[in-house]
Amino acid sequence: MMNLTVNGKKAAIDGKDAVNIPALLTELKVEQPDYVTVELNGDILERENFETTLVKDGDSVEFLYFMGGGGR
Amino acid sequence: MTGTARKFSFDTLLVHGGSEPGPGGATTVPIVQSSSFAHKTAEELEDIFRGRKLGQVYTRVGNPTTESLEKRLALLDGGIAAIATASGMAAITTAVLAIVRSGDEILASSSLFGGTFSLFRDTLSNYGIKTAFVNPTDLAAVRGAINERTRLIFVETIGNPKMDVPDIHELSAIAGEAGVPLMVDATVTTPYLARGADLRADIVVHSTSKFINGTGSTIGGAIVDLGRFNWQSGKYPHFAPFFSKYRGFAFTARVRKLMHKDFGACPAPMNSFLLSEGIETLALRMERHCANALGLARFLKGHARVGWVNYPGLEDSPCHGVAKRLYGGRFGGVLTFGLADKAEAFRFINGLVLARNLANIGDAKTLVIHPASTICSDFGPEEKGLMGVKEEMVRVSVGIETIDDIIEDFDTALNNL
Ligand SMILES: Cc1ncc(COP(=O)(O)O)c(C=O)c1O
Repeated sequence: MMNLTVNGKKAAIDGKDAVNIPALLTELKVEQPDYVTVELNGDILERENFETTLVKDGDSVEFLYFMGGGGR
Repeated sequence: MTGTARKFSFDTLLVHGGSEPGPGGATTVPIVQSSSFAHKTAEELEDIFRGRKLGQVYTRVGNPTTESLEKRLALLDGGIAAIATASGMAAITTAVLAIVRSGDEILASSSLFGGTFSLFRDTLSNYGIKTAFVNPTDLAAVRGAINERTRLIFVETIGNPKMDVPDIHELSAIAGEAGVPLMVDATVTTPYLARGADLRADIVVHSTSKFINGTGSTIGGAIVDLGRFNWQSGKYPHFAPFFSKYRGFAFTARVRKLMHKDFGACPAPMNSFLLSEGIETLALRMERHCANALGLARFLKGHARVGWVNYPGLEDSPCHGVAKRLYGGRFGGVLTFGLADKAEAFRFINGLVLARNLANIGDAKTLVIHPASTICSDFGPEEKGLMGVKEEMVRVSVGIETIDDIIEDFDTALNNL
């Protein structure tokens, strides 16, 4: 079981100690995963490192879209 | 729309790309005629504004009907994202001003569509943006015109109405060496003749009012980001905040979150619907436009009253080789030809029955115009020369009618001169 902070809210993933970014995107049913920017503990992740980056218990993840919304 | 749809061929994407079944199983894209979109909680709307969550907010910034069109346009050009705009000029203005700032220079083709020419020469120059115009088929001249202030190279795939065909692959290499993006107006060729990705353009702009709509019913434009250019460059410090957050999507993010939002040239949902309808038949129509244009060009070439014909599909056109290589043996639906003088061009136009005399291209109907006295009338002799506009010239946008009927219409008008 991993406890994460996702977009400022608590989230839990059962049965795993760590997941890579594609698995996290699937697990959390993140919309339009091809377009999302992923920030792990305050650092923006490069897309080419998605496969090799592991998210662990206690980590904080932010998802960021450039579409939608009206503000900057 | 992305992962799964990419395996489909181009013609299939024209029909299905970016679309999902509508309410009740509707097969057309629903027209979501709503200015704004309500959300249940304050937290949800905050998340959308912060970019944490996807969702529609306000039609100037995004709309479901328009989004469906944008997804299809991005797929068709092989781009990473597309933004639909209210017109082709809105697409050009928005995309160009996302890149250049006061003090910067644009290096542009001298044979641009008149609206783009005047945007660059007259309007943007008032805001400290200078444009150097150069013959885009003269690669040495293009190289020589790049300087330390150049921030953008802008060309048309087939110049309207000059019908010149710059070598976009070479221009892409030149732009790459100079570290500036290449923006290509592909209105005349459409993604059917060449996808932006295959042209190696960095940004493609379209007037979707023309062949993409295909019926002369709708004004629209599009900006397609091919995701090739590295915006993390000392030349583009204004992209830094967008690059740091959105990386490869820096251009689209800057356009969406800043220029497009602020300029406000959004399409009406109804127009996005009409464009989505039109685009489905693009392949079929372009085949016929190209075949009819070649047929008409050959007919005109053999007619005693015609002085000259300018169509890249004719073997003796100076642009034939480049056009053939870039556009796979198709040469578009627009051509120009010359009669004795302006008076004869007018008499010819007045003698046509089928072809319509109007300021547009890309309609299913055959269209003609005398550019020198109409769409290019604001320009002096020097600029007309650059744009390839001559007093005796008629421009034809060849429609998809039966070619025999088009030829008969032209033949009769020519023989009655
Ligand atoms: C090549 C080209 N680019 C841009 C435009 C401008 O498009 P719109 O009329 O949709 O603003 C046009 C036609 O008007 C055009 O022919």
